[in-house]
Amino acid sequence: MSQDRLLSADKNADSNDEVLQWVTYKLEDETYGINVMQVQEVLRYTEIAPVPGAPSYVLGIINLRGNVVTVIDTRARFGLMSAEVTDNSRIVIIEAEKQVIGILVDSVAEVVYLRSSEIDSAPNIGTEESAKFIQGVSNREGELLILVDLNKLLNDDEWDEVSHI
Amino acid sequence: MSKHLFANEKVMKQYLGALLTEEPLQEEELAPVAKLLEQVQSVDEVVTDIEAEAVAPGLEVKTRIVDASETIDVVEEPQDIVELQAKNLEITENNTIIKEATETVNQSVSAREAYGEDEFQALFFEVAGLTLAVPLKSLGGIHQLGEINQLFGKPKWFKGVMLNREEKLNVVDTARWVMPEKFTAELEERLDYQYLITLGDSPWGLLAESLVNNITLQPDDVKWRTSDSKRPWLAGVIKKKMCALIDVDNLNRLLEQGLDSREQ
Repeated sequence: MSQDRLLSADKNADSNDEVLQWVTYKLEDETYGINVMQVQEVLRYTEIAPVPGAPSYVLGIINLRGNVVTVIDTRARFGLMSAEVTDNSRIVIIEAEKQVIGILVDSVAEVVYLRSSEIDSAPNIGTEESAKFIQGVSNREGELLILVDLNKLLNDDEWDEVSHI
Repeated sequence: MSKHLFANEKVMKQYLGALLTEEPLQEEELAPVAKLLEQVQSVDEVVTDIEAEAVAPGLEVKTRIVDASETIDVVEEPQDIVELQAKNLEITENNTIIKEATETVNQSVSAREAYGEDEFQALFFEVAGLTLAVPLKSLGGIHQLGEINQLFGKPKWFKGVMLNREEKLNVVDTARWVMPEKFTAELEERLDYQYLITLGDSPWGLLAESLVNNITLQPDDVKWRTSDSKRPWLAGVIKKKMCALIDVDNLNRLLEQGLDSREQ
């Protein structure tokens, strides 16, 4: 193979190894990441107004500059125990499935850059619905980062239900 | 030997009894579980002994227990050491009933192909008072247990992912996987996992409370499971030691499918 072709192959390999940015947040002792392109903003915790009759995974709604945003209980969605809100708690406003929702997290950590090649699939086991939320895992400086697929956070019916709250 | 292993002796008896009673019973063999456990060295002793063997003139190390940054070295060991190790585990009294079926012609093909022709070495380790063995040539490595990152939505026996350098090791709660029917909150509280034993080239690893020894086995030392066994993860039962020999390939396959020992 000529040097030009080798260089071209390397370039193609690099272009396939896409770099994505992930906003990382904490829930319990684990660190999760969500695609930065889906994050609109991060808010300090503000009072969430409960919605009577809303599904269990809905914490309630907040008023975001005149817009009503539904906040999802991420802990409940991931099958984790509920926890007290602290000064570090944040509501991450995201866009997924053409909807804007908020997710309550314990804290937001940082924005990290990951190459596609640095992301591995999680073990494809488990029948619980929440198992499909995990898009992949990555070893970042000795810490496991669990990447969440926000589009799968709710199923079609649930996205529809949230849109009508 | 920690006391809780003795407390779990009953669990082990019940478990091994259950393993063997699915087949016709024609012969009873009694095995001294308490004696076996009593003579088992602690992990530190095993490490010390093995290190001592390594420096003794004329002796070669068979298995070296290493930390998470290392792998297992396996080299030839003089037969006298193997015999000595085996002697330490000699069955000298009978206090546990083990029922052995007659030799079955139709033996586990995969296990037989892998280990059945010549003598092989197996690592013995303990979980909740239960002794399990894994053939050394199917062993991926032994790692000191580090931080386990939990992934939600996974079966309870899947403890999470442990990072080891660039590797992501899938950690299996061995007690919960092997004997879910015996797994209680009390047992869970007593469990004191120290090691992760990885299986072959796979990322899967079994948690172990302690490492016992490694012993050379002859194919006849094992009562090989039949190919239609309900427990494909079980290569067979090591007769004298009264413990389960793991079929690593089949176990890996079950783990990849997310199945526990009851779901195959």
